Amino acid sequence: MKSSIATTALLVAFGAASGAAAQDTLPISGKTCDQLLEQYAGLPFTDILPLEAGPVTVDGSEEEIVVGFSQTGFNHPWRISMLEAAQAEACRHPNVSMIVLDGNVDVAKQNNDVRDLLARGVDAVLLSPVESAALIPASRAVMDQGIPLIVMDRDVPTDKTLFIGQSNVTMGEKVAQKMADDLDGSGNIVVITGLQGSSPAVDRDQGMKNVLENYPDIEVLAVGDGEWIREPAVPIMEDFLTAYEDIDAVFSHAEESSWGAQLAIARANRCEDGILHYTFDGSNAGFKSVRDGTFRADGNYTPFIGDIGMRAALYTLTGREIPGAEAYSQPGQQLALPDSPTVVAENAEEWIGRGWGDFEPPLDPCK
Amino acid sequence: MTETSSPPAAARAASTGDRSATLYRLLRQTGVLAALVLLIIVSSFLNDRFLSVPNLMNVLRQVSIVGILAVGMTFVILTKGIDLSVGSILGVSVVLFAGLLETQSMAVAIPLGILAAMALGLVNGLGVAFAGIPPFIMTLGMLSFARGLAFIYTGGTPIPILNENFYDLGNGYTFGVPNPTLILIATLLVSGVVLALTPFGRSVYSIGSNEDASRLSGVPVGLYKTIVYVISGGVAGIAGLVYASQLSVGTPIAGQAYELDAIAAVVVGGTSLFGGKGSVAGTFIGTLIIGVLANILNLTGVDPFVQQLFKGALIVVAVFIMARSSRA
Repeated sequence: MKSSIATTALLVAFGAASGAAAQDTLPISGKTCDQLLEQYAGLPFTDILPLEAGPVTVDGSEEEIVVGFSQTGFNHPWRISMLEAAQAEACRHPNVSMIVLDGNVDVAKQNNDVRDLLARGVDAVLLSPVESAALIPASRAVMDQGIPLIVMDRDVPTDKTLFIGQSNVTMGEKVAQKMADDLDGSGNIVVITGLQGSSPAVDRDQGMKNVLENYPDIEVLAVGDGEWIREPAVPIMEDFLTAYEDIDAVFSHAEESSWGAQLAIARANRCEDGILHYTFDGSNAGFKSVRDGTFRADGNYTPFIGDIGMRAALYTLTGREIPGAEAYSQPGQQLALPDSPTVVAENAEEWIGRGWGDFEPPLDPCK
Repeated sequence: MTETSSPPAAARAASTGDRSATLYRLLRQTGVLAALVLLIIVSSFLNDRFLSVPNLMNVLRQVSIVGILAVGMTFVILTKGIDLSVGSILGVSVVLFAGLLETQSMAVAIPLGILAAMALGLVNGLGVAFAGIPPFIMTLGMLSFARGLAFIYTGGTPIPILNENFYDLGNGYTFGVPNPTLILIATLLVSGVVLALTPFGRSVYSIGSNEDASRLSGVPVGLYKTIVYVISGGVAGIAGLVYASQLSVGTPIAGQAYELDAIAAVVVGGTSLFGGKGSVAGTFIGTLIIGVLANILNLTGVDPFVQQLFKGALIVVAVFIMARSSRA
């Protein structure tokens, strides 16, 4: 896709936009079923709700099954990886197709998207909500029509067929615990959050606070909003470095922001301080940064639940019971996923290739 | 249209250099400058590291991206236009720099990335000047369109930039000044000279004050308005260069909502949204006011939720002070 000449590149881009349907590439991911099936073998959770490849039979017929997927937004590669996992599962079944809608990280748009899916007569809805509470009306609309609703990643506090997700709170606790252990229970830290107010940022922060309650000698000097990305983290960290001479660790909710913080440390000539990075996201690039010593720990939050969601929908449509589904604190049922271990120096090598994304980490400016 | 002076007065001032109008502009700018000085004084009391050289260098570097965008935005707003697409155009140039640098040298990648940004600006300009599409609508469309291009080009995944020379461009120093700051200063100086000393620059003011009068007096309004959007696009490409080289990543979401920061800097800097009045010097001061405020809020550890209140209040208060001083 990366052409050598900018103008050509733009033309290619136009071409891809108009030609996507003509070829067999799937929407958003831009990959063919062949490519996705190759990836499928490497997905971590294919043994959960296992399903044979081949046509899916409902009431003895192999009619076309259309599964709608309303995603929070596709502004982050993590979200695309989740979609790819779902698309890969759909590719295994010739009579299963998907309608994919992009919520643009806007609850109002996503509510409309879900209703559009219903209007288009989908057989099941996969929903990964922008925000929990705001998607209640749309979720009710799905359940009222008797259509299976599989909620992924962030939950909706209303009735649903199944919720599948990992807990950002416990993941936050694990990473914070690793930090507390490394610091021997005392030190000064700064926090760079994900986009303030978004559920993973709130939950990861809560996890950290749960742990730090037990460590009164770990002081949070300051908190900044890194918005999940690199750019805002740089000036924030620069300012923190100016304001505080003694910083032991950066607790950041996103790998991108951690890389930005490391850049600020290098610019301030503070590499010698040995400031430690604790972060989240679970990308292969992040695991490499752990291996290379830039990060001490990376919360392993996997996007590869899209395929489980798809299988859960197909299980429900074919009347199969979902093993492991259980009642929980919210309406509906949940499928508890095994917690992925936090990636640290000892297990980084083992996890590289099992995270999401195939891009390289940035050069560590302190090396 | 609640401006305090009538557009023809400003037009006359711009074309003739009328002394009272010069004084008027000076007052507008000193009002903004006074706000900046006041903010700096207060900040220096709030944190004793604020006035340290490394911190001031940080501020100058931190404001460089939005500061550069705001320079282009000043041209557009002076013509009574608006360019909502600069953040997205920045995003396109950022992913192009990243993508091209995988196979090409900097000497190829940099001009092409900036040319692509100018091309998108040209589309804006033609739409506004010749197709009669209101600037707000035209550039709102481009905001979405250009962002889409950036996503398509990258497939939604950031492209890492592993070129060390490119990293040095964004993170190095020349004569002890951060390179991004030098790029900002160069952009300011060139723009300031163009606006003040060339017939084109003077026409930018007169178009914003009274487009019909400008046309009647022989100014090639359509051509000049087009050029203004090409400048804004090209300048967004330069800001994209600073972004990509500092951060070593071509992310398709680069520059989201930066258009609003750029507009805020221009407006706080005393340029009228109704066209014909303002300067890039004012814009630079406006940029610094916003940058210094963000810096001191971080230095003093103010909660990020509360920081948003300060930023919002500052924009309103700065414009209020400016309006008062211009009546004096």
